[in-house]
Amino acid sequence: MDSVCVEYKLQTLDAGAQNLLKAALKDPRAVDLEKVATAIVDLSLKDSSFCKEAGRICYALIQEEAKDANSTVFRRNLLTRLQQEFTVRKETRKRSVSQWVCLVNFICTIFDYLKVNNQPMAALVQPVYDCLFRLVQPDALTNEEEVDCLAMQLHRIGEQLERAEAGRMDELFYALRDGFLLQERLSSMARLLLLEVLEFRAGGWKLSDTAQQYYYSEVAN
Amino acid sequence: MSSNSQKRRQITGGDLRKNAPSPSHYGRKRGSDGQLRSQGDPQPSLGAKGEHRHTDNRSERQASFTTPETVRPLSRCKDWGSEVEESEMRMSVNRDMQRYRRRILTAEFSSRERKVSSGSCDSRDSASPTELETDENVLLRRQKQINYGKNTLAYDRYIKEVPKHLRQSGVHPRTPNKFRKYSRRSWDQQIKMWKVKLHTWDPPAQDGDLQAIEQIDLGEVMDIELDPDGETCKTSAGDEMDCFSVTPRKMKKTEELPQV
Repeated sequence: MDSVCVEYKLQTLDAGAQNLLKAALKDPRAVDLEKVATAIVDLSLKDSSFCKEAGRICYALIQEEAKDANSTVFRRNLLTRLQQEFTVRKETRKRSVSQWVCLVNFICTIFDYLKVNNQPMAALVQPVYDCLFRLVQPDALTNEEEVDCLAMQLHRIGEQLERAEAGRMDELFYALRDGFLLQERLSSMARLLLLEVLEFRAGGWKLSDTAQQYYYSEVAN
Repeated sequence: MSSNSQKRRQITGGDLRKNAPSPSHYGRKRGSDGQLRSQGDPQPSLGAKGEHRHTDNRSERQASFTTPETVRPLSRCKDWGSEVEESEMRMSVNRDMQRYRRRILTAEFSSRERKVSSGSCDSRDSASPTELETDENVLLRRQKQINYGKNTLAYDRYIKEVPKHLRQSGVHPRTPNKFRKYSRRSWDQQIKMWKVKLHTWDPPAQDGDLQAIEQIDLGEVMDIELDPDGETCKTSAGDEMDCFSVTPRKMKKTEELPQV
């Protein structure tokens, strides 16, 4: 099933993981879906570039399972595993900021990809907000890696999040503005990222043409 | 958006506001519950008991931030898997309701047009809209009970064997109508009777083969009246032995015990 490998970019994974995912995508009922869920979550936490593919794989598995067996075992296992990781996120961040960033990335990917009746999963709204709030804390803002993550998630799912609960988005942006204005030892890149996000949201989750030009085009200067 | 493609800008000290407040004011002006915080307030710990905390905050925050439609009593802290499944069921129950309403309205309309009722319009469906059960929690509970019954090999075999148009009332079990008003006792009894009748289509018992029925509590077994042919009774009594020890194969596919 090499087309599957190519489609989901499985070549970067080790052989065991590859085989497991290939088998699952072929027939979800033939594999231990709890193992699959665990494997996917573990892989996503190690490698943030796998996150996007992980999202697509999860989506495909859930569709497949619903269609064949009208069941939701994989989704349940995935969410349970994800919730476990979310619960220990403080320790994860202490241990490794990169892993914490991967976790945020993955939770937001799931929020983005896995919809229920075309709506984002309500159960994930608060957890996602909790993660983003963590990222605007002073100690996180001094970390470019975390600011970059914050900016990326807001670009991807900010609008959906706001639609789900506007009040908390307002809160987040109070903190974001505070951070931009008052945080000491903020790198200029971090400040740039925050400013761009501020403008992005102010423009209704779109960047105006002039702002686009300012931030993203090469200007001979 | 990749960091590399962004143009780096030099920000000089002079660009920042000269009159910025002192650092002691730094920190979020408001706690995550929306209240203005006094200075020196420690940051609320986001890591501790994450899943419980965010639920508490949500109920605190409800007054100011939650849109009215979502104000709903948080019965207990659930795991995400259950929450998502429940919200999915809620949506599908609501969809069912719309469809059902439309169906009885058209049935009413067409029965007014002619004396003979249409095939789908019978005493079970002819509840007028004002007599419908609309309480979401009740509908959800009933739907769950129906799902338990439909998630059996017996039900699968039944619907394959007897297509809807060949069903005879009294002989063939009918799924109770969750939209009609019934007392709790009446509904629970209907479900019991329905599930008992479905046992007639249980797959033939083999050595070591599991009967695919969910846990029957003893109360339910005791309630079964003796049929003249004794068939139903025999099967149930036999199942009583099996169901306590193992998870029925068919149930396993949808109701994995959550691993904590």
